[in-house]
Amino acid sequence: MSTLHLKNGKVFDPINNIFNKKKDIYINQGKIVKSLDKKAQQIIDCQDKIIMPGAIDLHTHIGGGKVNIARIMLQEFHNNNDNDYDLTANFVPSTLKTGLQYIEMGYTSCFEPALLPINARQSHAEMADIPFIDKGGYAMLGNDDFLLDLISRGADQSEINDYVAFVIKASQCIGIKVVNPGGINAFKFNQRALNVDENSIRYKITPRKIVHKLARAVYELGIPHPLHVHCSNLGVPGNFKSTIDTIKAAEGLPIHITHIQFHSYGNNGDRNFSSASAEITEHLNKIPNLTCDVGQVLFGQTATMSGDSMKQHANHKHAHPDKWLCMDIECEAGCGVVPFKYTDQSFVNALQWAIGLETFLLAEDANKIFLTTDHPNGAPFTSYPHLIKLLMDKTFRDDLLDQMSTDISQHTILKDIKREYTLSEIATMTRSAPARILGLENKGSLSENADADITIYDSNINDIEKMFAHPCHVIKDGIEVVRNGEIKNYMWGKTQVVKPEYDLSIEKKLDKYFKKFHTIGLSNYIISDDEMSETIGSDININNCIRKRIS
Amino acid sequence: MPKISDSTSLDNIVCPFCSLHCDDISIDVNDNKLSVKNDLLPSCKEKFEKYNRKDFNDQPSKIKGKETDNKKTTDYCRTLINNSNETLILNASSDVNICREILSSASKINAIVDHINSSIFLKNISLYQRRGYMTTSLTEIKNKSDVIILFSNNMLKLYPRLIEMVIAPKNSFSVKPKNKKIFIIGDKKNNLDNCTIKDSRITFIDYKNKDIPLLLQSIINKENKTQLNNQVFNILLKNIDKSKYLTMLWSTSEFIEYKECDQIIHKISEYIVSLNETSRAACLSMSGNDGDASSIQTTAWISGYPTRVKFTGSYFEFDKDSHNSNQLIESNSIDLVIYINTISSKKLILNKKHKNIIIGQPATKYNTEPDVFIPCGIPGIDYKGHIFRTDNVVSLPLSEIKISKHRSAQEILREIIR
Repeated sequence: MSTLHLKNGKVFDPINNIFNKKKDIYINQGKIVKSLDKKAQQIIDCQDKIIMPGAIDLHTHIGGGKVNIARIMLQEFHNNNDNDYDLTANFVPSTLKTGLQYIEMGYTSCFEPALLPINARQSHAEMADIPFIDKGGYAMLGNDDFLLDLISRGADQSEINDYVAFVIKASQCIGIKVVNPGGINAFKFNQRALNVDENSIRYKITPRKIVHKLARAVYELGIPHPLHVHCSNLGVPGNFKSTIDTIKAAEGLPIHITHIQFHSYGNNGDRNFSSASAEITEHLNKIPNLTCDVGQVLFGQTATMSGDSMKQHANHKHAHPDKWLCMDIECEAGCGVVPFKYTDQSFVNALQWAIGLETFLLAEDANKIFLTTDHPNGAPFTSYPHLIKLLMDKTFRDDLLDQMSTDISQHTILKDIKREYTLSEIATMTRSAPARILGLENKGSLSENADADITIYDSNINDIEKMFAHPCHVIKDGIEVVRNGEIKNYMWGKTQVVKPEYDLSIEKKLDKYFKKFHTIGLSNYIISDDEMSETIGSDININNCIRKRIS
Repeated sequence: MPKISDSTSLDNIVCPFCSLHCDDISIDVNDNKLSVKNDLLPSCKEKFEKYNRKDFNDQPSKIKGKETDNKKTTDYCRTLINNSNETLILNASSDVNICREILSSASKINAIVDHINSSIFLKNISLYQRRGYMTTSLTEIKNKSDVIILFSNNMLKLYPRLIEMVIAPKNSFSVKPKNKKIFIIGDKKNNLDNCTIKDSRITFIDYKNKDIPLLLQSIINKENKTQLNNQVFNILLKNIDKSKYLTMLWSTSEFIEYKECDQIIHKISEYIVSLNETSRAACLSMSGNDGDASSIQTTAWISGYPTRVKFTGSYFEFDKDSHNSNQLIESNSIDLVIYINTISSKKLILNKKHKNIIIGQPATKYNTEPDVFIPCGIPGIDYKGHIFRTDNVVSLPLSEIKISKHRSAQEILREIIR
């Protein structure tokens, strides 16, 4: 592995409180080092260049059953031209193209947020075939009959913790996600909605209880990433109240609300659809343990894909083109794939666009809000540079608002918001903050011993969108993989996981349960470390968990 | 790595041979010979134990039917590949990792890749490429389905443990197992395998599956326009009406010869979609036993398409017609076919008008001698692997349970295609 010297760049390294400071960076054996004993094998002149850690996408649907369903369902949209940064490029790219498009934008770690444990083997195999980037998954719980049964029987928190720890280990994940808590399961029993304080028909428990139990388990097990929550009532006008109720359900425990834009809707006005970004960000700004990612909507064709089969089924009438799929999966969860075209001719879509931007701009701390489009649900990840420009350039976003086919100016406060994100804030929300919240101690940072995942931008490019779309160099694990838009080296990243400790007696209970009710055995549900590297094709990197206890 | 002389007993082994991929197989291995311990149908046991045969284990590579060594075979294959203007790699049965290797190999020589059952599974895929589709998976059926309808003449021949494992289980947590109602609808004359099951929950209905659309329309209209007697029709109707989670299953391969095939599967799917407006119901089209689901999934994530792809320099391109292996072989539009058959024992039908290479598990059958036959190991017996189950959502690890004299298909592909 070569040594590198990045000379004279303008460094943005939020973890070390370094912003726009001239600095040299040295790399040896894939790690950042203080200095090199001898002249580096490769020197990159970074005069007029901006150096940041590699970007991290903490919520992007890049691997698993629903992604592949969308690929197959919407194959007519595949666009295999070489213009990888293209808003019209296919929104469910192949694994190869996913890796190419991410690395060419300077993203070096990406996380699949809805990994069904029963489908984990597929998700990991798929992600293993994505070149360049490190990846990981959040195991979906909270609609699985085993957990709901435990909660409904009043099981001790320690037993729930053991189960959560078992699942995250067995499925080789880094976090736990709950999607429409209890709602996917309730849909299997023909409930069409489940509010935060409503009992499910079968288990007689509320989403509030599920969220609290899981948030506590994640906290007590010391899993760094807080419970990743897709709230109840996705997309429903007036749903901001459910979102606030869900936040409160955590009772102060760390919680991450995902694609919060889709959960920040009021039902005021003559169209019964309004922005509630102010109410939501008020909570975000004042609650210390609350973080979110936005799930920004941008206009164009895309595919929505979610574990939330309850809401995806309800939305299938909006499918564009008119085809869709919903699936009940293995007494664990479900999924729904519904293609959708966001257009500024639609009042609702235009306001969704504004609500997302309002949320970004009203959030006071870039450490608590993350740049996502919920790829591909709000827009494909290739639109991130465009989104960054919207956040950094008020004139640009005001112009776009003025040019919209639908006049939403009376329904959004966007024009009143003067804030423009700084490069430092962009670096924080796309690098240091996601690394910290995922517990990736060696990522998102240019500290000594950090992984040498680095993106170098040309500061002479005046258009910030172009600058972020086309970094001049991308370095992954100390190897220059992109130079001026050209791939220099192919490589494969690792799968980031955590392995919290638990009482093994839970496996005996699960073994009995699997024998009785499942169609596979527990031993084949578990993915071993050897299987990850030998058969699935990705080595793992284990991140630390530190157990905590609520007195 | 086990040794040939080892004696060992293995549990929770995944069966690679049918797309249920039952994972409760216990096997004794003595002197590299397999003995299935479970009380299974003889046909299931035989699928494992036949690989104890010496002639299979010792099977040599052949060029035009004559035994040869690996080096000569490799050299000859390379010559055939170098001389080929258009090569088809036809996946006749394999797991995920072999599919990965097939696509990687195809990208080196710009070959076309198709699966031998693509004409069937593309019909299933069309259900959600054209309209809406409500589907489910095996554990959901086991636990949640109260009324199950199998449209099938010989599903149980294809999936021998389907009834025991999924449809009529001993345990089920949201429906009392004894309350499950199961209807197997098929042509009685061709339905002998299905009809032998003794289970009070199961009702056999003698009916021509060609006429499924008429049956479903009659159910929708609540008026019997079928050949079924009214009593049978009304029992079916009553059970569907009171169902809380109705499930309909079929295997498209059983309908493929009917001109009504598309109409049948789309009618079932549309009916299920309509039921979900007010109730819950789901359908499941059972995938084939030749690694169909593994091929679809792997090809889709690597290329973006489920099958019929060709690597063109940067990316894979899909063409449903011009990359259709049946048409390519019949029309002689390709000059070399490389068959990859690592699991199935079905006979491969070769066309002698072009060159044929078979990389096949030792029990591979073929109608006429290929230009080259290279025996390979079986994922799940000789090599580790990873395979998708019929519901396309669960995938299972395949184990190496004996020592093989044969190379893996991946190794052979890497050797002959550089």
